[in-house]
Amino acid sequence: MSGHGAEIVTLPKINPADAIPADKLVFTAEEKAQLQEYKSRYPEAEGAVMRGLWFAQEKFGFLPPEVIRLVADELGIEYARAYGVATFYTQYYKQKMGKYVLDVCTCFSCQVCGGYDMLHHLEEKLGIKPGETTDDGLFSIQGVECLGACGSAPMLQVTNGPYVFNLTEDKLDALVDSLRSGKMPPFTSVTLPQDEEEMGGNRRSDAAAVATYQTPPVAGAVE
Amino acid sequence: MPKVTIDNKVYEFEGRPKLLQFCMEHGIEIPYFCYHSAMSVPANCRQCLVKVGNPQVDRATREPVLDDDGNPVIQYFPKLQTSCSMDMTDGLVVHTHRTDELVARAQRDNLEFLLANHPLDCPICDQAGNCPLQNQAYKYGPEGSRFEFDKVHKPKKIELGPRVMLDGERCINCTRCVRFTSEISKSNQLTIIERGVKNYPLTPPGVVFDEPYSMNVIDICPVGALTSKDFRFRARAWEMSKTPSIVTGTSRGSNCYYWVKDNEVMRITARTNVEVNGYWLADVDRLNYRKFNDARPLGPDMVSEGARVSTDWDGAYERAATLLRGVSGDEVLFIGSAHASVEDNYLLMKLADHVGASAPVYIPHVEAGSGDDWLVTDDKAENAQGCERLGMHPVDETVVRARLDSGAIKLVYVMDEDPVASGLFTADQLKSVDVVLHYYNTTNETFPVANVSLPAATIVETIGTFVNDQGHAQRVRPVKAIQSMNRSLMMETGLSRQDRHATPFDKWSKAENKVNCQPGWVTIPEIASRLNLDLNYKSPKAIMAEIESSNPAFSGATYDAMGLTGARLAEVGTTV
Ligand code: SF4
Ligand code: FES
Ligand code: FES
Repeated sequence: MSGHGAEIVTLPKINPADAIPADKLVFTAEEKAQLQEYKSRYPEAEGAVMRGLWFAQEKFGFLPPEVIRLVADELGIEYARAYGVATFYTQYYKQKMGKYVLDVCTCFSCQVCGGYDMLHHLEEKLGIKPGETTDDGLFSIQGVECLGACGSAPMLQVTNGPYVFNLTEDKLDALVDSLRSGKMPPFTSVTLPQDEEEMGGNRRSDAAAVATYQTPPVAGAVE
Repeated sequence: MPKVTIDNKVYEFEGRPKLLQFCMEHGIEIPYFCYHSAMSVPANCRQCLVKVGNPQVDRATREPVLDDDGNPVIQYFPKLQTSCSMDMTDGLVVHTHRTDELVARAQRDNLEFLLANHPLDCPICDQAGNCPLQNQAYKYGPEGSRFEFDKVHKPKKIELGPRVMLDGERCINCTRCVRFTSEISKSNQLTIIERGVKNYPLTPPGVVFDEPYSMNVIDICPVGALTSKDFRFRARAWEMSKTPSIVTGTSRGSNCYYWVKDNEVMRITARTNVEVNGYWLADVDRLNYRKFNDARPLGPDMVSEGARVSTDWDGAYERAATLLRGVSGDEVLFIGSAHASVEDNYLLMKLADHVGASAPVYIPHVEAGSGDDWLVTDDKAENAQGCERLGMHPVDETVVRARLDSGAIKLVYVMDEDPVASGLFTADQLKSVDVVLHYYNTTNETFPVANVSLPAATIVETIGTFVNDQGHAQRVRPVKAIQSMNRSLMMETGLSRQDRHATPFDKWSKAENKVNCQPGWVTIPEIASRLNLDLNYKSPKAIMAEIESSNPAFSGATYDAMGLTGARLAEVGTTV
């Protein structure tokens, strides 16, 4: 490994100042009803924790402790439990993030295919470390675990949205440029092998755009 | 009855026990970390793996399939199973590491994983010497590790709350501490944060781990991740002796271990007794041990020609006897103690009877509303129930105050109590009468007005019986030595490694920490003999045997029957 040194896990602030002012820290009657509806979908209130947190993140943009507590209270579950769930997933933002969050996968397959190189390229290019946000508030970067697209490693995800596959440094430069101009990468679907017939032998909707990536039809490859 | 075969030996079982629990109860050791008998089963440490299978049954005939030698063919699960989460079913065949190489290897490899990011700072860890991870790594683990890269570093000095510290690196994420707060104490103050190698338990922001039972997580943490702020770095496990007894300051008599080094109590930890306290102890019960070490008297003393002078034990006994001789029985008020054992109170009753005084009273220590529905009781004294069963009654304050003021009382004989501090009398009121005092600490507020004071052995220095608020009679054992006793000769005392292997000349035998005090079952017979009453029993055991056979309220409470976990007495007024 390329001398990153030991991984250092930091202690979250035990008593952070509230990020959301008290008058804003409320759910409207409709929002409350929506949360109750989520709750009713599960045999136990705890089942709705992920949907509830997601809902709050859509409203507040991120999940500082006071928002996690608000969700827990609204759903009638334990704050500690909700906090544990929120910290488990990198998709829940525990702090205010940049407009574009670049989640670079550094899990097994992506790591082997250069995931860390991609992350470090972004670090140098944007002048920030994983977990930080650029001063203009445009970009945040994170190293994340497997996003389930190992077949197109290395890859990243933009703000819990579209995936960008088969990363190269050039591709990252282009991505950052296009995001600066406000253009999100297109959504690309990766289908299951049995659907490749319909897709002309390719499993990805962006096959035409990806010169390096052509899946030979499975049947052919097996021959 | 259903049968299970474990390591080729057949056992019968009832119900549907978990395999690991069953093995634990039958002395079949299986290494494990996350399982706890009182909590849910997350099966997350993966240490308890075993190989299990069922006899193969022919589908058509429903007969067991036999191999060429006529033995049943066992169809094993394709993968090893965690014994903690495995429900036992009839006919189950189990192989532990004793009879299966794959199981031994899985356990070894699992330990290698658990240790991959473990800091191995055992040389400075409080848990070392008493650590399930350390013990099992020695016993079942690999000799080295193949993980030769930097370990993940996590915060190491996290104050979870006022009493508990966390070292994130040492944690193996068994979730016992979190389950304790969500399932047992229900404080829900802890959660596991982050994931993968970054996991560790923490309070959510803004929450302090300050629940009144927080220190139980220190006991159940299978590594040294959770430590006691009070005890941290004060002693190594092998320097201390560990003696089973009961805690003080509550009438529940929760079972505990006292850990002693150099004749000082260093800490109190929980001892399992499902009938009394389960596996748990309240934090207050763990932290009130300093009274056994600090402000202890130097020896007996008495007032002579207006001045307090120290004396030897014989001098003190003689003075107490003289004071008793100088008054008639009805002029003496005997105050027994709900802090003292049944045996000592019984002897005091005999002494009171002998001099013609009315039966000793005891001072209740009930603080209404201070208890919870669990292990903290309103009654702060350990043995009120024992006093009641002996036939003693709480003191009637108005009556005894009136008698004292009218001069009807000339001598107050106090055993292991503090009538001034408890507000029964003022020190001034007692100045006009003689006072004999058996006391634990020099902070005793009756001590300044006592004419003769005899340092008494506390609950950690004596042998005796205490009855808890539910009628559970329990024995206490000497935990630390007093001057008149050689701890290795007192067979009942817990011994440390040093006690067993060192000589008295070694540096850790601190004679000055041995208190010059005596238990009531020594002092009261000494005083009684000077008044021609023979109270010389062979031992407290013999005293209790006499109480047990003569008083139905103690029926069944022999030392042998009480053993380590006590005996439940019938409710007073009922018979068994
Ligand atoms: S701190 Fe101890 S009890 Fe809690 S999860 Fe870690 S190892 Fe288990
Ligand atoms: S390892 Fe990166 S997507 Fe699976
Ligand atoms: S004890 Fe079975 S998995 Fe932990």
